[in-house]
Amino acid sequence: MSGSTGTVKKTGEAKAPVKKLKIVGFLCNWCSYAGADLAGVSRMQYPDEIRIIRVPCSGRINPLLVLKCFQQGADGVLVSGCHPGDCHYQEGNLYARRRMLVLRSMLSYFGIDERRFHMSWVSASEGKKWADTVRSLVEDVRAAEVEAQAGVPVW
Amino acid sequence: MAAAVRKTAADLLAKTAVDLVIGYGRSSGGEIVPEFVSRPEQAQALEWNQDCTYNLVRYLTDPEVVGDAGAGKGSGNAASKSATASKAGVGKVAIVVKGCDLKSLVVLESENQVQRERLTVIGMPCRGVTDQAGKLLAKCEECPPDVYNPRRELCDLVIGEPVQRTGDGPTDKSAARKAEKNDPSGQSSPYGDVEQIDALKPVERRALWDGYFARCLRCYACRNVCPLCYCKECVFDQHDPRWVSPAAAVASNRSFHLIRAYHLAGRCVDCGECERVCPVGIPLRRINRKAAKVVEESFRFRAGLDPQAKSPLVTFATEDPQEFIE
Repeated sequence: MSGSTGTVKKTGEAKAPVKKLKIVGFLCNWCSYAGADLAGVSRMQYPDEIRIIRVPCSGRINPLLVLKCFQQGADGVLVSGCHPGDCHYQEGNLYARRRMLVLRSMLSYFGIDERRFHMSWVSASEGKKWADTVRSLVEDVRAAEVEAQAGVPVW
Repeated sequence: MAAAVRKTAADLLAKTAVDLVIGYGRSSGGEIVPEFVSRPEQAQALEWNQDCTYNLVRYLTDPEVVGDAGAGKGSGNAASKSATASKAGVGKVAIVVKGCDLKSLVVLESENQVQRERLTVIGMPCRGVTDQAGKLLAKCEECPPDVYNPRRELCDLVIGEPVQRTGDGPTDKSAARKAEKNDPSGQSSPYGDVEQIDALKPVERRALWDGYFARCLRCYACRNVCPLCYCKECVFDQHDPRWVSPAAAVASNRSFHLIRAYHLAGRCVDCGECERVCPVGIPLRRINRKAAKVVEESFRFRAGLDPQAKSPLVTFATEDPQEFIE
């Protein structure tokens, strides 16, 4: 692995080194974390550029936490919780949905590419959806990186 | 009108219906400033004219003014905070409000930050207020009749007759201004200024706002003047955890403005005080109005209309939009 240089080279390709992304994922304990666990147990392949933080509920996620990730150099942030109606605490994810909608709009307004901030509903049985979500998230953040002005940090 | 305000204030104080009247007066330099009157004979100091720009509602949560009745503001100075907190409450307060200020009072009431029954709200029909150069404020040019004539059901008293804004009044001026500009890019929409920025590419928006945020001194005037920033301990004064560096650098300034706007999402009534007091001219209304636009479009909610309404970010609806969620 080439973690120390922050780049990975795909063997057999003459492409320029692709920047290894740092993406933070906040996953609720009851659904999304179990879904990610299922993806792992099922040996599904998905990018290793996401770091997972387990939280009790998506309703626990203070927008300040997301902001802190960007401040500290994250390239992207994912918030993932139970599907509406499935929340372990009945309604935590519905509060989160409102909060993250406003946060995403404000980040975008200040010129933080909205593809850097994702939210998803992943249940404990959706290991495949988890893997797909991370793949599309990484693609989106990469696309945002390409369009971003060179040398300008995310935050 | 000023005479009517003085008489009303003197009467209220004389019959001890209130202990304090918050209104407008003159500084020794002749400028219109907030005036705090607690004796009938002092009521002669009160003024009312088109220079009465301040939103006095801000003082209703200030422990320096209303003692324990107020919620206070983050100062970062624990000693001074405890000193003011121990000051006894002043009892009943009367306050002079314009229609636009009244909306921020509605939000304070909905958040249980004022005891409405201890307040006497004196509504002032308003022809618009002016800046230091004598020019009508932008917010006044757009002001609708149900705001410049304060809603009677929310006031205890309304002084004078409803204002008709005609002739060379602000409404016609703004119509003329719009026609003059002939700008189809959203001038017809109430959030045209926000939509102009929405239409930019992310890198362009970033450059635009970073240009403004580079000027920010972090003087916190926008926070301190805001009638809705009443937290006893402000997140920007916290040291553990410290969410935002106090350094006036672009990145931490961006965090500051994002959090400030977020805390006002669904609450800001666009009174424009933050933008007025900003010493470096950051267009803060354009930030607050973006949050207001998102809240209005997504949750069909407008702040400052209903004292019983809950702020949209402390509640939810099962049918809330979720197109952005995978």
